[in-house]
Formats: sequence, structure tokens, C-alpha cells
Amino acid sequence: MEIQHSQLQFCLILGFALMVSVSEGKESCVEKYISKGYFEKKSNLDDSEFDNYVKHEISSCSCQLPKDNLNYPPRLLTLHRNLMGEGSHRRLSSSIRLESEHSLQSCEGIIIEKLPSGVFADPFELQHLVHRKVFSDAAVFGDSNLELPSFRSNRSVVEIHTEISSGEDINSNQMEIKIELPLHARYPPLGEGFAKVKFGIPDIFLRCSSIQGNLDKCGYMPRKGEGPKSVDDVWEVPCGNKEHQGIVSVVTFTSAIISASLIVFTSISHSTLT
Amino acid sequence: MAVVNFCSLLLFSAVFRVLLIIYGEWQDTHMEVRYTDVDYLVFSDAASLMASGRSPYERSTYRYSPLLAFFLMPNSVIHPAWGKFLFSASDVLVGLLIHTILKLRGVPENLSTYCTMVWLFNPFTFTIGTRGNCEPIVCAIILWIIICLMNDNIFQAAFWYGLVVHLRIYPIIYALPIVLLLDPRHFESGKKPKLTAWSFRNIKSGQISSSKKFAGESHFWLTLRNIFTWRRIIFGLISAVVFFICTGISFYLYGWDFLHEALLYHLTRTDPRHNFSIYFYHIYLHYEQEFTVMEKLISFLPQILVQLVLVFRFSRDLPFCFFTQTLAFVAFNKVMTAQYFVWFFCLLPLILPWSKIKLKWQGLASTLLWIGAQTHWLMWGYLLEFKGKNVFIQLWVASIVFLAANTYILISIIQNHIYSPVYRRLDHLVSDKTAKHD
Repeated sequence: MEIQHSQLQFCLILGFALMVSVSEGKESCVEKYISKGYFEKKSNLDDSEFDNYVKHEISSCSCQLPKDNLNYPPRLLTLHRNLMGEGSHRRLSSSIRLESEHSLQSCEGIIIEKLPSGVFADPFELQHLVHRKVFSDAAVFGDSNLELPSFRSNRSVVEIHTEISSGEDINSNQMEIKIELPLHARYPPLGEGFAKVKFGIPDIFLRCSSIQGNLDKCGYMPRKGEGPKSVDDVWEVPCGNKEHQGIVSVVTFTSAIISASLIVFTSISHSTLT
Repeated sequence: MAVVNFCSLLLFSAVFRVLLIIYGEWQDTHMEVRYTDVDYLVFSDAASLMASGRSPYERSTYRYSPLLAFFLMPNSVIHPAWGKFLFSASDVLVGLLIHTILKLRGVPENLSTYCTMVWLFNPFTFTIGTRGNCEPIVCAIILWIIICLMNDNIFQAAFWYGLVVHLRIYPIIYALPIVLLLDPRHFESGKKPKLTAWSFRNIKSGQISSSKKFAGESHFWLTLRNIFTWRRIIFGLISAVVFFICTGISFYLYGWDFLHEALLYHLTRTDPRHNFSIYFYHIYLHYEQEFTVMEKLISFLPQILVQLVLVFRFSRDLPFCFFTQTLAFVAFNKVMTAQYFVWFFCLLPLILPWSKIKLKWQGLASTLLWIGAQTHWLMWGYLLEFKGKNVFIQLWVASIVFLAANTYILISIIQNHIYSPVYRRLDHLVSDKTAKHD
């Protein structure tokens, strides 16, 4: 599904952050995980507060970007989203194409998914993918209880760090980020038929290490996303029907009592003599 | 009928399990669907955390004793499949213990071996251990407790009982039948109690009258009068001390995380997500509001009623009592997952020699009914979970059907069981001697 630029209510952020080598023993301008700082201050995810955090906290970073990058930041060309699979365990695929005047070979892409309350990502499953080198790194922040239904749980944020590959045309300045994020549906509130879970647009960052190894230079530049987006990311999750409450309770307890009575009767009437 | 060599059988089972573990490693690496149980990854993560000096409860959904994580610490040092070998070794040990119990009860060698095969070659059980499920350890401990009790080794029985309740809580349902079994009328001072031989199952002697008396009106009062015997006190005391020491140390090391995850969670668990239990949909439909005391009571009543009746009727035939209790406990539990079936599978071979059910055709029909009811449930479960179809109501009906199948099978087993107390009562022994003398 194609959506217009003006329809984009979600903040799509494309930024740069120069990664400071940990081995040099200097503090990074931006933490390993961008989202971590937000959840150190807040316990629940709120979209506008998170956007403010990104806007003020991350961009207030005192380090500076190299001049070239400041003048010609990478441009977002396309964003394709697709929910793959069926049922309660699905994969949210994101394909992001970027254009840059400069090589992004020394950069990693950071995708931040602010998950709606009906779904969650299993941090241990993500770690498994990190071990298999599917992602460079991954972390989940927010509600870590994997078992609660959506009406008893809070939202969470998934942060994926991944490599950037060259576009199809090697000579062009286009780069591509592709990820498939495994997600699981929580039990939705009672309703009729299906509950709809809709995803927002992810925040996208680039974190690059300085080629010259100039470690005190780092920075961050958020800006609104541009370019065509294609999304097919509405997840329909089956939900329990409130109208079933009465009949289910009556039949459940009746069948339990009948079964128990039959067992009790058989046990008492069965002779313990041979 | 050809005699199957039991040692060869055990060896074959062990090799078979090793091959399955190796295959599992291959499947995990090469296929999208993992062979390894997701719980095994949880244990392994918890063990790895413990090995690095952290709390195993930092791993979300780790809801077991820290002892389990401790046993699996070699997973991160020796090999990730260490735990699978440990669980599969326990699985084979269960086979050995089943055979030992049947031999102690005088079951002929051939029959004992065939009954043991019901455990060793049950596809459900050998996949449980090799996929990395910890239940075989619990099963082995419970069978060992039965052996200790049969050998009048109360101290050891109590020690292992305290430990197994700490490990897995559910064996608490066996406390009352064990206490009832330790009836002073079975024990002569300084001597081991006499066990009732399998060949004695068709007695038609004058014992019946005394048994009737025992099973009838005086049983309750005699139980009350004889409740505080030294065996019972020792058993209760030692098992309680072991339980509280293990729990206390765990609490000291890991605090409320341990108490909440490994203990309170299991005691208060009400899972709204689909599972075999008849209660799952009711819980989901009422999860947004608090359950009333009446609702809690009504759902607890069938469970407690069935447990009490089974215990007071069958406690002297301990393995049979354990089996019926466990099957009923699982069937009426608020949460039922497939791994719970292992709890009664390990006890099934212990009751088969006393069952009048013939494999052809009643046994086969019951097995097919149980598998059919479970498969029916799994079909709806698959449609809900993996196809996203709204089939809650069908799935819940399938749970009711599964409960009906469990109830039918339990009733059939009770009706066709030849009741055979583990110990022979002293007054029976005296009457036997008198009869012989006459």
C-alpha cells in the first residue's frame, strides 16, 4: 500500500552518529543502544515523549559531525514494510533504501521499532539471531513480560543494529538495509472476531565509525523521512468473544463437576478387594 | 515368548537417545524448526547466568529451582548438549527403576521387561528428554522414593521427597498417601515390612473379611489414632527440613525473584493463553476482571475432591494411587501442557501388571481415544496459533472432549485394576501362618 508524504504522522528519523571505538577507552557520545536512555528515565513508552527524547537528548550530543556528512546527509529513498507468515508468530520485514554522496561502508543501520501493545519481541530469540549473525546487535526495552495479554502489558521498543549492504547497482550511491524482525502476538482484549494491530514507521539511524579514527568526532542529525513508503503491516489477531462468557463458565464448571463426580463414584464403588 | 534381555534393552535405549540428541543438534543447525525444547534454551541461559555469578532469574520465564540451573552449568563449559545427556540419562534410569519396582513386587521378569518398554519406547517420553526437558529427573526421584518406601528406608525417602517438592512442587500431592501408607499395622519392630507379591493378586482367602474391615468403617478412625507414629514423624520432619533448607538457601541467594518465579508462580498460575486445560478460555474471558472467591472455589473443588477420594481409597496400593492422583491432577489443573503427561507416563508401567485391561482391544482403543482427543485439540490449537483463525470456542470444546477422554480412561483403569496393597498387613501375615499351620 502506497501512502503520501503528508500522511506520515510518524517521525521517521534518519541520523548519523559516529561510533566511538570502545577499545580506545573513550566514552561514546551516543550509548550503545539509543533507546536505553529513554527507558532509564521512563517506564512506559509514549510515542511523542520518545520523539522528544530523540530530538533533544540524542541530538544535544556535543560531538561534531564531519563536514561532508553534515552537508550531504544520506537520503531515504524507499521504505517497504511487510508482515510475513501467519498466526501468532510472524516476521515484520523492513526494506530501507538510502542514497548517500559518501560511502556508508563503515556504518551500521539502527532500526528502532516502537511496538504496539498487542505484540512483543522475544529478547532471547533476538540474541539467538545475533549469535547467528543475522543482526549485529539487538535489544528490547520496556515491558519484558512475554506472557501477559495485551491489556495487562505495556509497550516495548526493539532496537536492531544491522549491516548496510550496497544497492543492486554497485556503482550507484544507493545502500540498502533489510531486516526481518520475529514478533509474537499477545492475547488481545475481548472483542468480536479479530483485534487489529497496526505498526508505526520505525526510526532509522546510521552510526558510523570515523575512517580517520578521529574519535572525538561524533554526532547525530535527526530529520523527517522522505520518499515513497509501502506498507502492509496490519496484524489481525483472533480475540475472545465476550458473549461466550456465560456459556463457557457454565459448561466448564459443569463438565469439571460431572467428571469429578464420575471419578469419585467409580473410586468409591470400586472394591479394594480382589 | 522370547525373553528380552533387560540389559540389552537399556543399552539400546541409551544408544537410541544419544543418536536422537545428535540428530537434534543437526536439526537445530540446519532447519528452521528447532528440535530443542524452548525450555531447554531457558535452562541453558539461566545456567550460563549462574556460571557468570549472576541470578538465573535474570532470564525471564525461568521458573525452576536454582538447582536445575546449577546442574546445567556444564552446558556453557563442557557442551551445550550436556543437559540433554543428563535428562536422557535420567530417562533411562527411570526405565531401570520401573523394572526394579516391578521385580520387588514379584512381577515375572518377562512382564517387568515389557512394562518397562512402555516407558523406554514411548515416543512421547524419549523425545522429552532428548529435546531437553527436565521432567525425567523428577520422575526418577519419585520412583526412587517408591523404592525407598518399599525397602523401609524412610530417611532416604524423606530426603528425596523434600528435594523433589522443592524442585517441582506438584509431588506435594503424594504427601498424604505416603503418610497413610506408613501405617503402623504394616511394620513389625526391627523388621522390614513384607511386600505383597504380584502372584498374590488373586487371593480369595479369609483375608478379605479383615481387608473389608480395614477398608471400611474403621479405616478412618484407625488412621486418626495411628497418625503420630515415629515413621510418619520422621518422614514429615526430614522432608520438611530438606524442603525448607533448599528453599531457604535459594531464597538467601536469589531473594524474592526465586520465591516469585519458582514457587508462588506455580501455586497461583492462571494462564489465559490456550493450553489443554478446560479452564483456559474461561480464564481468558474473565482475565480483565478479578476472579471471585466463589469462582476460585468452584474451580478448586473438583480437584481437591478427586484427590482426597483417590488418596483415601487407594493409598495402600501406592504406585496405583500415585498414578490415578497424577492423571486426575493434570486433567483438572488450571494449566495443562504436554510435558505434564510425563508425570503419569512414568507411573503407568507400575500398574499394568495389575490391570485386567487387555491390549487387544480395550487397551488399544483407550490409547487411540486418548491420542485422538489430543490430536483433535492440537488441530484447533494449530489453526489458532499458526494460522490465525478465530477458533477459541472450538478449541475450548476440544479441551472438554480431552477431559472426557481422560475421565473415561481413568475410570476404565480404576474399574479394571486389581487392588494390591504394597505392604502386607501384620494381621494378614499372622492369619496366613495360622492357615498354613492348620
